[in-house]
Amino acid sequence: MTDIFTSKLSKSYEDVLAVDSLDLRINGEIYGLLGPNGSGKTTTVSMLTTLLSPSSGSAQICGHDVTTEPKAVRKCISYVPQYMAVDIRLTGRENIDFYAKLYGIRDKTERKRRVNYALDIMDLNERADDLTKTYSGGMQRRLELAQALTHQPKVLFLDEPTVGLDVIARKMIWEHISNLKKSGITIFVTTHQMEEAERYCDRVGILKKGVVIKEGTPSYLKSALKSIITIKSDGKMPNILPDNVDFIGNENGSVVYASDNGADILPSLIKKYDEAGIHVYSSMVRDPTLEDIYLMSVGTEAADTEQFNRAQIRRIIMKG
Amino acid sequence: MYRFATYVWRDTIRWKRAPLNVLSTLVMPATWLIFMGLVMPVKYDNYLDFVTPGILVLTMLTSSLGAGSSIMFDKTLGYLNKFLALPSPRESILIGKIVFITIRGLLQSTVILIISILIGATIYPISTYIGMYLLLTLFGISISALGTTVALYLDNHDSYAAFQAFVSMPLYFASTALISLDEMPTALRYIAEFNPLTYAIDGLRDIAKGIIPTFSICFLIILAILIMIICSWKFRSITIG
Ligand SMILES: Nc1ncnc2c1ncn2[C@@H]1O[C@H](COP(=O)(O)OP(=O)(O)OP(=O)(O)O)[C@@H](O)[C@H]1O
Ligand SMILES: [Mg+2]
Repeated sequence: MTDIFTSKLSKSYEDVLAVDSLDLRINGEIYGLLGPNGSGKTTTVSMLTTLLSPSSGSAQICGHDVTTEPKAVRKCISYVPQYMAVDIRLTGRENIDFYAKLYGIRDKTERKRRVNYALDIMDLNERADDLTKTYSGGMQRRLELAQALTHQPKVLFLDEPTVGLDVIARKMIWEHISNLKKSGITIFVTTHQMEEAERYCDRVGILKKGVVIKEGTPSYLKSALKSIITIKSDGKMPNILPDNVDFIGNENGSVVYASDNGADILPSLIKKYDEAGIHVYSSMVRDPTLEDIYLMSVGTEAADTEQFNRAQIRRIIMKG
Repeated sequence: MYRFATYVWRDTIRWKRAPLNVLSTLVMPATWLIFMGLVMPVKYDNYLDFVTPGILVLTMLTSSLGAGSSIMFDKTLGYLNKFLALPSPRESILIGKIVFITIRGLLQSTVILIISILIGATIYPISTYIGMYLLLTLFGISISALGTTVALYLDNHDSYAAFQAFVSMPLYFASTALISLDEMPTALRYIAEFNPLTYAIDGLRDIAKGIIPTFSICFLIILAILIMIICSWKFRSITIG
C-alpha cells in the first residue's frame, strides 16, 4: 500500500488553478515539495489532510480516500501547518496533553507516557512546565512537532517547518524529522530551503504554478546539470553567450550559468564579457546544487512575493 | 463525543490565565446592573426586579456573541485548521465552544443575581433560580450557535465586530428589557414581538412570578435547534466530512 497516492489531483479557486493534475506516489521516505510562494504547496497539503476538498482527481492516504473516508485518513496522519499555532497561555506540557486527549488517548498513565515521550524526543523537558508564551520560535515549532507525535501517525505532514528559524534550530528540526523517518513514519514536507531539502529529503518534487515540473532524488535531479559557473561582474550580462551555456538566474549578486563542462567553457564566457565591455570581478566553477536546479526550473521571477507578504503581515498583526 | 470537554478545558484555561478577561467579564455586567437598577427613574414598585432579567439577558447576549469572535480567532490564527485535521469528531469543536461560552455566561449571570440581591432585589425560592438558569442556558446556546455560524461565514474580525454591534444594541432596545411591551411605541412593538430577547426576558419575569413560560421555552428550544442545525451544516460544508 502506498502511504500517499494521488491521481490527477487538482484544486481551483475561483479564477486560479492552484494545483494542477498532481500524481504522487510516496512511501516510507521524506518527500519534499519545493516551490515558490503561491505555487500551491499549502493547497496540496490541505487537500491531503482533508481540510480542503479537491476540485477533481483523487488522493489516498494509507489506502483511504480523502473525500470519501476523511475520518480514516485523519486517524493515520498528523499535520503541522505553515503558520504556528500553539496556545501561548498553556504550558508546553498542557499543549501536548491537549492534543493527546483530542487524539483519543483516554488512559491517564498512557497519555502521560506519550506526552513525556514527545517532550523527550523534541528536547523540551526542561521548559515543559513554562507557559508557551516564553518559548522561542524554534521551541514552539518543536512543540508543534511534539503535539503531532503523541498520536504516532503513519504519515506526517509538515508545511514549511523551518521557516523563520535560525540555522541551529533548523538543523535540529531536520535531525528530528530524519529520526522520525527511521522510526517508520512517512514524511511529507514543504520548504523553500533548498540546502535542507537536498540534504534531508529522499525525494523532492518541484512545483511551479500547481504543476510538478521535476521530481526525483536530489542527486538524480542534479545529474541533469554538469557544472555551474557563477560570475560576479559590475552588474550587466553580455547579450551573446557561448554555445552550451545556459543562464539560470541570479544568486547573491552573481549571475549563475549552467554548462556541460564549466572549466573548459569558462574562458570563452569571460571573453564574451570582455567583448561586451563588462568588467568581471570574479568567476567560479562548481558542482550543481539542488538550488541551481530549482532556480533553473522555476525561474527567478516566479515568486509571488506580494501575496506572501500580505499573508505574513496579517498573521503578525493578528498574533501581536 | 466526550472530546468536546477537552475543548472546553482549553478555553477555560486560556480565559482563566488572562486576569483582565476575567475581571471585565465579571465586572462589566455588574456595572450595568448598578447603573440601570439604581440610576433609572423609578415608577415601578421595584424597578430592580423589573430590570434584572433584562440585564441577565443582555449579559448572556453579549457573552454568547463572544463565541463568534472566539471561533474567529481560532480560524484566523490557524488553530481551527489544526483541529480539523484531528481524528476527533469535528462537531466536538462546535459543541465545546458553545458549552464553554454558555457556562461562562451563566457564571456572569450568577454574579448579577448576587449583586442584585445585595442592592435590594427580591430573593426568590431555589426553584425559581433553577428555572431562570434553564431559560438562560437555552438562550445562551441559541445565541452562541448563531454567533459561531455567522463567524464561520465571515472571514475577519472586523466584519464580525460589525455584526456584533449591528445586532446586539438594536435587539436590546427593541426588546422588553427596559420597558414592557404595552408601553412601547407601536413600531418598536412589532420588532419586539419577534425578538428572541423579548421571549427570554419575559420568560424570566414569568418565572420570577412563579409562572412557567411554556411559550417562551418552546420558542427558545425551537430557535436553539434550528440554529444548531444550520450551524453544524455550515461547519461541515466549510470542509469535507
Ligand atoms: N482561499 C483561497 N482563495 C483563493 N485563492 C487562494 C486561496 N488559497 C490560496 N489561493 C491561491 O492559490 C495559489 C496557491 O496558494 P498556496 O497557499 O497553496 O501556495 P504556497 O505554495 O503554499 O505558497 P507559500 O510558499 O507562500 O506558502 C496562490 O495563487 C494563492 O493565491
Ligand atoms: Mg504555503
